[in-house]
Amino acid sequence: MTDVRNEDDAAIGERTRTFDYHDHRLDGIFDEYRWLHERCPVGRSEELGGFAFLAKLDDIFAAEQDPETFSVAPSMLLPPFATDDPLIPIDIDPPAHGPYRKILLPAFTPRRIADLTPGMRDTARELAQACVDAGTADVAATFCLPFPLIVFSRLCGFPEEDWPRFGRWLHDIIYERLTDPPRARASGDELRAYFDELLRRKAQEPRREDLISVLLDAEVEGRGLTHAELISYCYLLFLAGLDTAAWSIRSGLRYLGLHPEAQAQLRDDPSLIPAAAEEVLRTMSPVQGMARTCVRDTVVRGQEIRAGERVVLLFGAGNRDPEAFEDPDEIRFDREKNRHLAFGGGIHRCLGSNLGRRELVVALEEFLATTPWFRCTDPEQPWFGVGPLTLEFTERP
Amino acid sequence: MTRVRVTGMCQGHARCIALAPDTFDFDDEGYAVVRPGCEVVTEERAAAVQRAVLNCPEAAIVLDAEGGDPVD
Repeated sequence: MTDVRNEDDAAIGERTRTFDYHDHRLDGIFDEYRWLHERCPVGRSEELGGFAFLAKLDDIFAAEQDPETFSVAPSMLLPPFATDDPLIPIDIDPPAHGPYRKILLPAFTPRRIADLTPGMRDTARELAQACVDAGTADVAATFCLPFPLIVFSRLCGFPEEDWPRFGRWLHDIIYERLTDPPRARASGDELRAYFDELLRRKAQEPRREDLISVLLDAEVEGRGLTHAELISYCYLLFLAGLDTAAWSIRSGLRYLGLHPEAQAQLRDDPSLIPAAAEEVLRTMSPVQGMARTCVRDTVVRGQEIRAGERVVLLFGAGNRDPEAFEDPDEIRFDREKNRHLAFGGGIHRCLGSNLGRRELVVALEEFLATTPWFRCTDPEQPWFGVGPLTLEFTERP
Repeated sequence: MTRVRVTGMCQGHARCIALAPDTFDFDDEGYAVVRPGCEVVTEERAAAVQRAVLNCPEAAIVLDAEGGDPVD
């Protein structure tokens, strides 16, 4: 009996030893998640320097509520975003975390995001029209990426003449950090130098209605943010706010381009779009996992996790946990219970979640309203990332 | 009769504000609050409040029976 179990454990360990949740590894990851839920909800991988992982929604949720056991130091990102410094506020634990986060909370309330919505709609419609006019288009490049870039850069106060430089920095830091770390590091250095200069310039200018101005005037515990803190905050906003929204919009359009019945349903009843957006976020979340460091020995689901171990919260797996979601792998617009963690939870809940959700809903609404019909011409294009997504526009069948 | 409240678990996901705007509002930092006068869940608002409960990622919305015991 014991031998059988040990053999079983060894086989499980052998399979999870090479588990990763980035890049091409995302290709078959939904099957892998299903297997983890059946056989190994808490396991270990030797990739990325070694980490334990949690796959169950309840375990992920509990870890997020317990920052005294699961610290965000040295970084939530594994591997980090081309820097050794903690990013503000995501890589900061309490009690220092709260004051940093409070600075921008008022800028992301549902009301503030509602104020941005008319401008968002105009931008989305314009970009979508250009896609239709082309007949066939790589909508990742012509819609999914530029839409949040325009919306978020305006909100932050990133000058329009600088936008053409952003794409390469985003790509290198987020995607090349695994495949070409020196290139990612070089782009990280360039991006920090860019914010160094931009912040110095904007500090001298009259304040505007943008997030950089809010940060420049912000106080934490009775003092202004240091120049280094300002750079860190902007660096995080830039990397967190642009790629994730583009990914979720792209994954939503890809799904609709491959599932004509779902596309028809949303065209016939656009009031379903917000619920559809939640399902897109749940099943194809741009953030499949975030790391913590265990700072005191603990036990999760009978598995010991030791102080010092890196622990990855697999949001992507938790969002497909059969104990939390009926038919977890199905996208269902009528799902009544949907406590997914696409934006994480606890004190580090994505600061921009209201904006990200609104961008996705507006993008889907305006794209569907502007286009007569579309289909994916290349089903081999992956569900993840922000790479090409070729859509062909036709009359509705 | 059922009463609704938002606990300290709220992290401002704003799902309740989207799903049951007649019952929930938010403060200056985006944390949810029950609209004044809406603590008692009326029949008209019950279905929307239930959806808010089922979609709160932090399980921060609690329904209490009028006597004070939490309701499932």
